[in-house]
Amino acid sequence: MLEMSNVAKVYRTEHVETHALSEFSLRVDEGEFVSVMGPSGSGKTTFLNLAGLLDAFDAGSYRLDGEDVSRLSDRQMSRIRNEKIGFIFQTFNLIPDLNVFDNVDVPLRYRGLRAAARREAIDEALGIVGLSARSKHLPAQLSGGQQQRVAIARALVGRPRLILADEPTGNLDSAMAHEILDLIEKINATGTTVVMVTHDPELANRTSRRIHLLDGRMIDLDHDRPEPLFQPGRSLGTAQA
Amino acid sequence: MLDYQLGLSWRSLKRNPVLSLLSIGGIGLGIAVSMIFVTAYYYLAGDPIPQKSDRLFLVQLDAWDPARPWDSDRPGEPPDQLTYMDAMALMKSDVPTYKTAMHKADLTVHPARQDLKPFRQLTRLCFADFFPMFDVPFRYGAGWSREADLGPEAVVVLAAETNQRLFGGEDSVGRSVRIEDRDFRVVGVLDAWRPLPKFYDTTNGPFDPAEGMFLPFHFGRVFEMYTAGNTSSWGSYDGGYAALLQSEAIWLQFWVQLDDDRQRESFEAWIAGYAAEQAKLGRFARPQNNKVRDVMTWLRVAEVAPEEARALMIIALLFLLVCSVNLIGILLGKFLARAPEIGVRRALGASRRQVFAQHLVECAVIGLCGAGLGLVLTPLGLALVDRLFDEQFDFRLDPILFGVALALALVSAFVAGVYPAWRVCRTQPALYLKTQ
Repeated sequence: MLEMSNVAKVYRTEHVETHALSEFSLRVDEGEFVSVMGPSGSGKTTFLNLAGLLDAFDAGSYRLDGEDVSRLSDRQMSRIRNEKIGFIFQTFNLIPDLNVFDNVDVPLRYRGLRAAARREAIDEALGIVGLSARSKHLPAQLSGGQQQRVAIARALVGRPRLILADEPTGNLDSAMAHEILDLIEKINATGTTVVMVTHDPELANRTSRRIHLLDGRMIDLDHDRPEPLFQPGRSLGTAQA
Repeated sequence: MLDYQLGLSWRSLKRNPVLSLLSIGGIGLGIAVSMIFVTAYYYLAGDPIPQKSDRLFLVQLDAWDPARPWDSDRPGEPPDQLTYMDAMALMKSDVPTYKTAMHKADLTVHPARQDLKPFRQLTRLCFADFFPMFDVPFRYGAGWSREADLGPEAVVVLAAETNQRLFGGEDSVGRSVRIEDRDFRVVGVLDAWRPLPKFYDTTNGPFDPAEGMFLPFHFGRVFEMYTAGNTSSWGSYDGGYAALLQSEAIWLQFWVQLDDDRQRESFEAWIAGYAAEQAKLGRFARPQNNKVRDVMTWLRVAEVAPEEARALMIIALLFLLVCSVNLIGILLGKFLARAPEIGVRRALGASRRQVFAQHLVECAVIGLCGAGLGLVLTPLGLALVDRLFDEQFDFRLDPILFGVALALALVSAFVAGVYPAWRVCRTQPALYLKTQ
């Protein structure tokens, strides 16, 4: 699904060069649930930004879903982000003056779907995260856990093949964090590849493979991968609000 | 997608009402100020008869004093009016589609209604061709026939205002009006008609309204009526009206309609022949200098549009530019404050082009709102300008000016919005996703 070879990313200012990633290579297969851990400044978010085509790398190669993405135009990369990738952020990144429904609608708008198709997809995504009854609420009217569930619905609604989650439970209490991880596991169980950055070893232990980043280099902690959660034919079902 | 972008723009305007009002108010004010002066210039320098201004020609002949030119500042310029002898000679040419000599006169009208006192009315004495040649609009009836010119028949065409005054605006065709010492039959009543500038007689007030009555040209001779406009002469015409008709005094305007180049060339040859013939008879002592000029050429030569109007229009457009530049700052601040949201949208699949378009649509919405405000303020400003000039112009926004206002507003908003929109669409999404 995702294959990076010798990727390097350097941040430059006038006087300083920071090597955020060096000779970084990683292969993530379809249906895997990979956690990425590491101390602050180790390059976790940089890796996620490169994986999500939100930033450009300086060296190496990157194939996403079999496609070399290093020379794509902005338009092509935007299309891939829209159709193949779903993002979940630590700070939820909901648009504050759009209600739940309209927040989830954002990626579908850029896909150019008709209103009926969008409504159907949004209703389904909100059903999965258990927020059907909150579709008219503004983000500020929801709890942190509910906001993250909206963000998950937004990531899910376009049926992406890859979910990139950047510390999705970082702003939540422990109970809520587990609830969110349950939801992400459920998504992974339907075949969606998940790459999750986390600081929490307990959450990382629930993933099928753990990656450790240190000074921009990767250490694969799991030589013996557990069986992925994904089983063909499994569906997400819906939750109660 | 456009409906979505319009919705986002509207939401953005509501989100920052003060900034939105500043943006719209700035553009609206700029539009109002610029449109006031664009409108003034449009009327003063515009084409008063665009549908056929290239087919209507003022005829000039140089029968002026052999010792000195008509205009010492522009020695190559022939007089702008004709003598009676020349005008009547040109009326014999059958080359033009339409032709008319004419002048204005000040006649006394004696209303039949007892409650109305006799009044003086500026009147145009012209030939039947005047009406079809200048596309004069009629509310009732029509102009008189060419046969009526010959008599002349006692017929009159009333302007709408005169018909209102005499007959309360009713269809007065067939009714009688006493003018000077005889009764005239109304054959037509004009609809509202005010060519601006009054191109057919720029010598006698290019911004005056059209006359209130129109009579067959030869009634000037019947009444021995001198022109109410300018008369210039390099010789004497003592001896009354008959002497005036035989003199070198110029006091008549002469217009023709020539529908194509061949007809024009043919007419130019005709008047060249006439001028040569007159020269043989001892007139036209100056080098032959005949001019056949279309409406817009003539208005330029006659310098009808005041230079001040043009200068004021340029200053007003510069004011709009300043408003637009001011808007750049407002929009830049507003758009860049939205960078985190744009980061999210980019992550969710919005391309740079879509982000750019979204912000330009917002600029268009601001421009349209500004145009709306400007179009409300412009008539107020025009009314004020009109009052300053004793209401002699009656400036109004017509569909063309309405379109100009809309285009100016959109262009101003786009000019102001392009850079901020470009800046925000270059936003690196990764910079903001972690820091929202």
